[in-house]
Amino acid sequence: MKNEHYIRCHICETVNYDNSLTSECRRCHSKISSSLHDSYTKTLALLITAIILYIPANLYPILTTKQFGVNSESTIIEGIIHLWELGSYPIAIIILIASVVVPILKFLLIIYLLVAAKYKTRSTLLDKHKIFYITESIGPWSMVDVFVVIILSVLINFTGVRIYPGIGATAFALMVFFTMLSALSFDTRLIINHEKGKNFHASK
Amino acid sequence: MIKEHELDKLIICKKCHTLHEKVLIAENEKAFCSECNVLLYHNDSDMLDKMLALVITASISLFVAFQFTVVSINIQGMEKSLTLTSLFMVLAEHKQYIVGIMFLFLIVIFPIVIIFATFLLLFFMKIEKAGYLTKRLLILLAHLKPWSMIDIFFISLLVAMVKLFDIANIELGVAFLAFVLTLMLDILITKSLSFHQLWEIHHQIYGSIDEE
Ligand SMILES: [Zn+2]
Ligand SMILES: [Zn+2]
Repeated sequence: MKNEHYIRCHICETVNYDNSLTSECRRCHSKISSSLHDSYTKTLALLITAIILYIPANLYPILTTKQFGVNSESTIIEGIIHLWELGSYPIAIIILIASVVVPILKFLLIIYLLVAAKYKTRSTLLDKHKIFYITESIGPWSMVDVFVVIILSVLINFTGVRIYPGIGATAFALMVFFTMLSALSFDTRLIINHEKGKNFHASK
Repeated sequence: MIKEHELDKLIICKKCHTLHEKVLIAENEKAFCSECNVLLYHNDSDMLDKMLALVITASISLFVAFQFTVVSINIQGMEKSLTLTSLFMVLAEHKQYIVGIMFLFLIVIFPIVIIFATFLLLFFMKIEKAGYLTKRLLILLAHLKPWSMIDIFFISLLVAMVKLFDIANIELGVAFLAFVLTLMLDILITKSLSFHQLWEIHHQIYGSIDEE
């Protein structure tokens, strides 16, 4: 069946007509016809905030180790390299995926969806919806490293040796937060079929 | 206007957004999306009872997980244990306020609110009372769903333990087992708690309830 005149309420999952008369979901009354232009701008703004935060998240230390008065700091990447050198390959790979691969992949997928909302792309409608679904579900996994640092700072908290979170951890946690908000602001009606000549500029 | 109840016969897949016409399925049968195989809906007449039992168990195990020691480590006679209180004390000590607040919401407040709201929802739907409240709870749960990170916290805990394995003796606490139990229950609940069906049951019991 073609899905052109219907819209799924993202809160209660009910099917609504997608037309100018529909402003809220018929069952749960959540807003569904907020302007697509607003959704686009909001997603983009939040994504840019997240990407900017990803820079200090990588440049500043995520954790500091204080050993008998001597401080040593390490960023996410340094931490991964250190784990690799120690031979903890599985942990190094988990942290690499959670802290580097997932966030960057998520940035790229949202950028792709935003580009695809304006310009013709090769992927089908079905693919784009699946991409969005993946984008939403991988989000929280990036928090692993921040949580690990928090747990370590509780357990390694002795007079001689202590570990504590650095500025990088705050930047990283905020980055994850803004990326999730960005994905949540993305209105799935921005995923459209350009062949039909339906462009979001036309609808307000 | 076109009749609204016609729309109730339709369902849009959450993953690929394909529009499907609902077909009647027998008890305990499931309907999947023809395009991407995602579960669309299932017919489970004792869902409310089953879920209520699971949610009550999950709330007890979550309480235990938050109340007691998760893990203790021992490095050359020095001991440290991880509890929720020690975690917030350490974060406050290092002035990690933003991380602390995010942790408080993602790991403590949201999971507790989700489990408590689910319990209230199922309970009132079971006794068929409080139609407006249950509707608000259904909406609240949909908003909160992406913001509980207790599963990711557990994975992080395992990663931290592997990191400490070489330098410390690790002892698992009661709360660790409670975390495992909570997560298993959580997976069971998310797998079989169908919001689609809950909204349908809600409509059958209370009819359409409007704002105010
Ligand atoms: Zn709705
Ligand atoms: Zn599908």
